[in-house]
Formats: sequence, structure tokens, C-alpha cells
Amino acid sequence: MYCNKIPDKPVDNEKIWKKLDDLARANSLWITAYGTGCGAIELRPLHTSRFDMERFGIAMRPTPRQSDVLIISGYLSVKTLKRVIRVYEQIQDPKYILALGSCTIDGGMYFDSYNTINILDRYIPVDVYVNGCMPRPEAVIDGFILLMKKIKEGKAVGWKRYKENLEYYRKNQREIIRNWDLPDYNW
Amino acid sequence: MADDLMTMLRETVEDYRVIRKRHGYLHVSVPRERVMEVIVTAKSRCGKNVLQLISAVDRIERDIFQLTWILESTEDASIFMVSADYPREGCKVPTLKDMWPSAVFFERELREMFGIEFPGNPRQDEDFLLEGWEGIPPMRRDFDTLEYSMKTYGERRKREHVDPRRLIAEHTGEWDTPVPSRKEKS
Repeated sequence: MYCNKIPDKPVDNEKIWKKLDDLARANSLWITAYGTGCGAIELRPLHTSRFDMERFGIAMRPTPRQSDVLIISGYLSVKTLKRVIRVYEQIQDPKYILALGSCTIDGGMYFDSYNTINILDRYIPVDVYVNGCMPRPEAVIDGFILLMKKIKEGKAVGWKRYKENLEYYRKNQREIIRNWDLPDYNW
Repeated sequence: MADDLMTMLRETVEDYRVIRKRHGYLHVSVPRERVMEVIVTAKSRCGKNVLQLISAVDRIERDIFQLTWILESTEDASIFMVSADYPREGCKVPTLKDMWPSAVFFERELREMFGIEFPGNPRQDEDFLLEGWEGIPPMRRDFDTLEYSMKTYGERRKREHVDPRRLIAEHTGEWDTPVPSRKEKS
């Protein structure tokens, strides 16, 4: 039960209440509860009482339909990348990606692995990178604050970039996912 | 329990070699024709009723795969390991799927990572971890992971090195700022 029509190119309509929208979006970031690497461990102290991310309005959601942020937490194998694409394309617009760890930036300690990607930005658009191996919860909170700042300024436009350059991203994804059986777009 | 195993080994195979023996732990190497026999008897007579793992080591210097079956007993948690050497090219190993259904998964993994064939296993050609892999299996030692990674996932970004001495030099105008030693201070 899905529609696999390719999405239209995003239109820039400067609404009067756009700033109000962005303010509301920035203060209620909901995360898809999906961990892809070792960094998922650092999210548990983040959402429990010690670091308590709910004071920033950040909460975990069980399904991509209800969330705004997808966290790529650490190394990403090709098999997981296929699932990540499925999850990312199901999230409603606007959507943001937070990439944790040096593995997503340039491969990190898995730079010579046969099955983990080196540069995440070639396959899905990243809004904020948090470096470290792994980043501590403080660093992740810092990344979230930067993401909020970018949303309020209207600069977190990874989802628009993805729709505009869908052919480029699809080409890169198809190059490394060998058994490609995804539909044209996963709504 | 170990004495039990030793008697069993003495009765079934003559030319076995003990690699390591401790309390509740025995690792032997047997010729590859007798491996299945040893495993079957260890399960039926010596109570080694759990298959923990089937592992393979690529010993490229000797041109063999060393396969090890790790069996454990639920009664006293003692471990029995059987190793055998197989040729690297066209490696064919009998399957254990009739004795332990979980062996199917270990054998699928070995098939995918090393290219070892298990002719009796009906699911051996299914994808396990790598989906649609073509070419040399990645855990073989003649597979160059760095080259493959560079070719498939792109070059790493070059790092910018910031020398702290250069920052000091920009600030002070001197390249080698002398560090005062302890003697001069006092």
C-alpha cells in the first residue's frame, strides 16, 4: 500500500507565517527511533533522565510518519543504507538528517571496510554532522541546537536538495546497492 | 567428560592431534574424512548437544581453510572443538543441517564470506549479510578491502592539518617559539 510516484520539485512560496512555522518546527523535533551503528548506544543516555533531551522538545517516535529527524548514528553498511532510504523517503516534509560520528563524514575507522559507506552525503542529504567517535550526548545536544538554529534561519534544506537532485542521489545509491528492488520513490 | 572424549577419539580416529586441553575444554585436529564421524559421536555419546559456531580461518600460506566446529554441552558447559583442513580451491564441506537446524545459518555465512560450499544445504545460495555480492568473497585474504572500498565508496576527504606552532608563529611572528626550560625559570 504505497504510492511510488516521483515527488514534484519543491516550490518556494514565501508564506507570511513561514517564520512561525520554522519556529514551531525547531522546537518540536521528533526523531525516528532507528539506530544504525554504535552511536545508537549514545542516544539512550540522551533520552533518559541524565541528559533528558525532552527539555529541548526532542522526542522519540516509533514510526517515520510521525517524525522529522532521522539520526544516522555511526557507520552505515550497504544493507542498512537500503533500509535508511526507505525510512527517509517515508518521513513527511520537512525532514532533517543528523549524522553522528566520523564514520559518516569520511569513513572513520571503517574507511577500508568492504561493506560500509565512506561519505554519507553522496547518498542522502545531511543537514548537520556531529564529529567524534562516538560523540558524547553533550555533543549530540550541541548538534541538535545547531540544527534548531539552522531551521529557524531557514537553512536546513536537505529535503529540498534531495527532491531537486533525486537523479544524482539515485545514481549513487544504485551504484552500491547491488540488488536494487526499491520502487521509484517510497511514500 | 574430557576423558570420555579422549576414549571416543581413540576408538574412532587414530591420527588425531590435541591442540589444547584444559579443564572442560578440548581442541583437537582430525583428518577431514573423519570430521563428521567425530562430531556425530561427540553428540550422541558424549553429550555435546549444542553447536556454538562453525568458523573458518583462511591460512593462505598453507593454501588451506581451517574449519572449526565448536560444540558445547548443556550439562557441564564443557567445550569441544574439532578442526580440519580443507583445500582453498573448490572447498566442499558436508553439512550439519540434519543434526542442528541452526547450522544452516553458519554455513550460509561461510558460503558468503569465504566461498566454502556446503552441497547438502538447500539454502546455501541465499543472501545472508551481503546482498547480491559478486566477485571474490570479502573475507578471503586475497581480497583487497582498501582497494575495493576506494573504488566503490569513493576516496576519503583529505585532512587539513593545523600545526599549533604555525598559529603561534602567526601570532608572535617567530616560527620556533622558545619554550622556557625549568632551569631558566628558577
